[in-house]
This record gives sequence, C-alpha cells and structure tokens, in this order.
Amino acid sequence: MMTCHYFRANLQPGNADAALLEHLRHCDACLDYAMSIDPDLFFRSLGGDELVPPGGVDAFVGDVMSQVRVRNAETALAPHRTVSAWQRWALAATIAVGVTGATLAYRYEHSAPAPQRVAQTLLSVQAAKPHPAPTATKSFVETYSSHNATIVEMPSDGSDTKVVMIFDDKLPADL
Amino acid sequence: MKLKHAFLMISMLLAVSGAAFAEPAAADAKPALAVRIFSFKFKQADKAAAAIKPLLSKEGSMSIQPSTNSLVVTDRAENLKSVAKMIGDFDKEPQSFRLYVRIVGASKVEGSPKIADDLKDVARKLAILPYNSFESVGEATVQGKEGDPGLIDMQTGYRADFKFGEYDPASDSIAVNDLQIAKLTGAQKDQLTSLLKTSLNLTIGQTYILGASRAPQSQRALMIVLVARR
Repeated sequence: MMTCHYFRANLQPGNADAALLEHLRHCDACLDYAMSIDPDLFFRSLGGDELVPPGGVDAFVGDVMSQVRVRNAETALAPHRTVSAWQRWALAATIAVGVTGATLAYRYEHSAPAPQRVAQTLLSVQAAKPHPAPTATKSFVETYSSHNATIVEMPSDGSDTKVVMIFDDKLPADL
Repeated sequence: MKLKHAFLMISMLLAVSGAAFAEPAAADAKPALAVRIFSFKFKQADKAAAAIKPLLSKEGSMSIQPSTNSLVVTDRAENLKSVAKMIGDFDKEPQSFRLYVRIVGASKVEGSPKIADDLKDVARKLAILPYNSFESVGEATVQGKEGDPGLIDMQTGYRADFKFGEYDPASDSIAVNDLQIAKLTGAQKDQLTSLLKTSLNLTIGQTYILGASRAPQSQRALMIVLVARR
C-alpha cells in the first residue's frame, strides 16, 4: 500500500503512473492535493485515454459498488428525521381545535330549540286563530276555606263538564 | 413524508372547518342585551311576570317595580319584541264576562226520586254520586268586568257573592275569587250563614259542577253549576 507521503513526493504534473493513480482512487486527502498539482489527474485516474481504469475494470467496478453499498448503509443507519416536540404539540393542538370546533358546531346545529323560539311558535300559532287555544290549564278549585276538606275531581262522563266534589265535615248537614 | 404532509393537511382542514362551523355558536355566546321598561295601565306587573318568564332566554332577566307598576326586562332584542307583544295582549282594559250560576240541591231519598225535567241533564252528569233526587235552588247570570263584584240573591234564601278575577289568556280562563255560598237561616230566615268559601278558575265556555257535602256517604249535597262566557 502506497503511503500518502510517497504519493505526494513522487507526484508530478502529467504523471500517468498506474500505482500513483490507484492510490488516488482510495485517498480523498491526496485527491485534493493532486487536483491542485494537476487537475487532469482525476480524469486520468478514471481510465484516461484507453477508457480502462487503472487496476482494471473489475477493480473499478468493485470500488464503485463498494461505495454504493457504503452509502446505502450510511442512509439506512442515519437517524430518521423526526417531528420535533413543538411540531408534535402544534399538531395535537390543531387536531384538538379541529375536533372541538366540529363538535361545538354539531351540537349548536342539533341542539334543542331555545325557549324563546318555542314561545314565538306558540305566539304565532295563537295569532293565527281568532280565539287562541289554551296553552296552559289551571286548577278549577284554586283555594277553599277549610284546610281539612277533601277535594275530589269526579271521573268525566265524556262530556266537557267537569265535576268536583268537596267533602268537608264542617259543612252543615242541611245544605 | 407524503403521509405526514397529508396528515398535516387534514388536521389543518379540520381546524379551519371546525372554527368556521363554530363561529355562530361563539357569536351567540355573548349576545347583545337590551333593556326595556314596560309600564302597566290595567294589570298588575307581577301577574305579567309569570307569563313573560318562559319567553326569556338564558341571558334574560326581569325585575318588578311595584311603585310604578312596571317591569324592567333585559334580554335580546328579538325576545323583547315577543315580550312586548305578550304584554300588549295582557295589559288590556278589563274584559267583560257573564257568569251563569245555578245551585241544585241533591239528596238521597227512599222511594221515588224527584228530578225536575230541566235538571235531568245535571242528574246524568252526577250519576256516579249516590244521589237520586235533585231540586233547583235557584239560578242567575251575572255580567261584570274583571275586578267587579257579583251578587246573586235567590228566592230560596241562598246567596252567592263573588268577585270577577283576572282573565288568563294562556289558559283562556277567568278567575272567580272569594265565591261565598251563604244561606238565610233561623226562624225568621234573617240570619245569613256561610256555607262555603272558595276561589275558582273557570275555562271560558266550559261547564263546571262544584259539589259540597259533609262526607261521601252524606244524604244531602249542594251542587253549584258554573259557566263563564264572554
């Protein structure tokens, strides 16, 4: 194996020594130095005029494939680009806002009608009729003088007459 | 990378669309409220408050001013319109009504029952009760406005006095306040004895029969037929 010191000591511009050129293919540090001495050395190290690389085609192809394998291995071993912490938080916040917004919108659209809407509907229905239908009912007997009395609503006979009996033992017998 | 970009895009789309949909709800969260004072000419403000309460929104409120007989209502503008309409319908000049009152004596007698022809309809409605004899004590129709007193003196010595209460549009009913049924008693029929006192709500046009007796098995009962009309 040729040392870098030997290569640099024997390198001359226009030199086509196969041993020197082979060292150049393996040593990137000497490549820069050689380029400064003779820029054409790089092309000559690839094969020169006869298109046959120094050391033979097989050696050259072997070098190229080994470089390919090395670079593939470097790519495979290189740490994958990951989402940073702030990106993850931003992503989570975005999803949360999206889901919350969509949920609120859904609830707003499907919520029960507001009380005033119901009231307005009732009012509009009432306004459409000459005599409004009662929307509420009140108890027939609001108050009675005696607290001990029993007030009973009798079953209806099918007519619209409402019968309510007051049983009060304080009432006179000769009503 | 493509998957991540797609995921980010979908998330952003969700956020934007969600915010857009949520905008109306967010806008409603802080509605503009207005204040309006309603003064009453004919009716009491506190009576109107009960009818108005269902019309108010969650943010709405009201307070009664008894000294000025007015109502201060705070709510959205559209709700205040509904309140104003309701109050306009409510605070009207006292309406006039007719109250038909008939008093019928019901009793359980041995032998052949006595039912006058004009009381057969009443007797049929009271068939569930243990009375088989009905006699008319008296009847009359009294006309009056809300707040007016009413008095019926019957030749049989019975008296009905009462006060026309307020008309409730929600239930289409008129209140008959302090209805007192009394009877002249004593040897000279010169003592007025109160039999019962009650306050009633009568739906306009409906017939009511208010019966009174000491107990369900009593031999005698008094039936008061009432019908309120406009």
